[in-house]
Amino acid sequence: MDLNFFFINALNGVVYGAFLLLTSLGLSLVFGLGRVVNFAHGAFYALGGYALVVAMQRLGASYWLALAVAPLPVMLLALAIERSTIYPIRDRPEIYTLLLTFGLSFVLIGGVEYLWGTSTTLVAAPAPYAGTVRLFGNEFPVYRLVAAGISLLMSACVFAVIQFTPIGLRIRAITDDPGMAEALGIDTQSLLTVVFGAAAGLAAFAGGLGAPIFAVHPDMGSGILLDSFLAVILGGLGNLPGTAMGALFVALAKSIGGGYVAEWSTAVLFALVALALIFRPTGLFGRGRVA
Amino acid sequence: MKSPRVSSYQQRGWQQLAPPLALLALLAVLPLIAISTFTVTLLTEAMILAIWAMSLDLLIGYTGLISFGHAAAFGLAGYAAGYFAKKVTSDFLLALAVAEIVVALVAAVLGFIVVRVSGIAFAVISLCIAQVLFTIAVVWREVTDGMDGMVGVPLPKLGGMTIGPGYDLYLLTAVSLCTVYVVLVRLVDSPFGRTLQAIRTNEERAASIGINVYLHKWIAFVFSWAVAGLAGTLMVFLKAGTTPMSLHWTESGNVLIMVIFGGIGTLLGPIIGAEAASTILPFIRLEDPRLHMSVYSISESSDVLYGIAPTKMLELLSAVAGEAADGSIYGLHKALDKLKDKAPHLVQDRRFQKLATQAFLD
Repeated sequence: MDLNFFFINALNGVVYGAFLLLTSLGLSLVFGLGRVVNFAHGAFYALGGYALVVAMQRLGASYWLALAVAPLPVMLLALAIERSTIYPIRDRPEIYTLLLTFGLSFVLIGGVEYLWGTSTTLVAAPAPYAGTVRLFGNEFPVYRLVAAGISLLMSACVFAVIQFTPIGLRIRAITDDPGMAEALGIDTQSLLTVVFGAAAGLAAFAGGLGAPIFAVHPDMGSGILLDSFLAVILGGLGNLPGTAMGALFVALAKSIGGGYVAEWSTAVLFALVALALIFRPTGLFGRGRVA
Repeated sequence: MKSPRVSSYQQRGWQQLAPPLALLALLAVLPLIAISTFTVTLLTEAMILAIWAMSLDLLIGYTGLISFGHAAAFGLAGYAAGYFAKKVTSDFLLALAVAEIVVALVAAVLGFIVVRVSGIAFAVISLCIAQVLFTIAVVWREVTDGMDGMVGVPLPKLGGMTIGPGYDLYLLTAVSLCTVYVVLVRLVDSPFGRTLQAIRTNEERAASIGINVYLHKWIAFVFSWAVAGLAGTLMVFLKAGTTPMSLHWTESGNVLIMVIFGGIGTLLGPIIGAEAASTILPFIRLEDPRLHMSVYSISESSDVLYGIAPTKMLELLSAVAGEAADGSIYGLHKALDKLKDKAPHLVQDRRFQKLATQAFLD
């Protein structure tokens, strides 16, 4: 096979993996903290894209400013949603919040379609990075590399926060042993609210960052939601380093595999995840947890 | 979790068959009292969805397996029946038999593995299975025509007679619906059904008194898929075709919401949920001018409608009020009472009242 073909697919896979990392980290964090399987995560991703478009078109903000501002309203919305819907049913089995967030995703996407219609909005890449760069004899859009770099940087920040700050310490404690953490006086509920909001903000940031690559449309979140789930499950629910490996694995498998065997790679991925859940419920890299 | 709702069917023999037979009679004469062909088709679709929703309720409400991929059975049967009808014969019973064999085989093999997990893991695995089938339907173009969808499925035949697309198919669906209802009511009330409910209530306890948990779950899984297969077969004949979207995970979500909206573990609830989600609720939001334009525009805008349709809103609201998962319609009055405190203006809203009345009709 053509080596260039492989190389470009692999590069695209890495770019996609960087985005997937950003979304699946939030998913994994929220699950680890509150055992909440958040099906509305894709909707937050889409909302981020729309917030960016609104900021650019209505308010005339530049791309970078819009990108910085876009996650804020989504975060506020997510905080309100967590307080008003997930908080009241926190004592029920996990499956209830799963159903709830699934309904929420419909409501949110329905709201998006109601407000902005179902058409696709293209966002131009910001000026200095709009062109392409020559890599091993192939033209490759510069913005993709820049965006991948930014998402990796953001993900590194998330890891740093989890690893080195007091709040990160609490998050790790709860993920490790919720009962013990509460006994030591950590307020699990408020922390979940904060992390839920932050995770939604991360997803929204990813949505805005990806807008010049993947375009903005109401359904933009559903594909990345499913892929994030695959990444999170493969890596082990609640296990952040595992999630990172999972994200890269899923993205590369889809991108490289997709180049040769088309959609079959997706089928294989799903089958793999199903098998992983049955035979290695802690994820391929261990240490995670499943209900 | 609350204790399961156990159906209180104490009647025996013919008495037990009376309500569904009366319903069947009512359904049979309904189209004769002047409603348009479009409405008949819509009602047929709603009844098919009702069969599908009931099959899911058997899993969720009576076995405790929350499936997020119930579209798998529905879509798979559609493809099997549609392919058979196109290539061999469009005899309804033969096509149904083929579809059921395919669905039952797949369910038997997959079910053998997946019933060993429960909770979130089961939900995600069932979602994965449906997505694998979805992908296969997209890629295997020789059989499925890929994303274009399978078209040109001929009209079904029953004993040499062609079943027309309007009233004939409606009647066939009504008979199927009532049969499925009777079978399922008998089933959940049988020793087998009681055993399932015991497993749902407390799996470990059920196992400790000697119930073979996996075997019962497996049988329920296969049976549920088979019933969904009937719905899928009817649907492929109604639409004269099918697309990979019938296997997509959002479709699984839709049927799940019908069951939740109607009331988990009630069998009658999912029927109402399906009717409400497919026929009644899309028409409630009258402010949208696109609704009035044409049949086509209804089907076109239904996605938008669905998104913020009251179904989902109600589900959310009742979830917030804390009554969702144990049967929204049945628990709705409680939910409404709580809502009165929390959001008085909403309960005053005329449209909301209309909806609530609809929900109480059962």
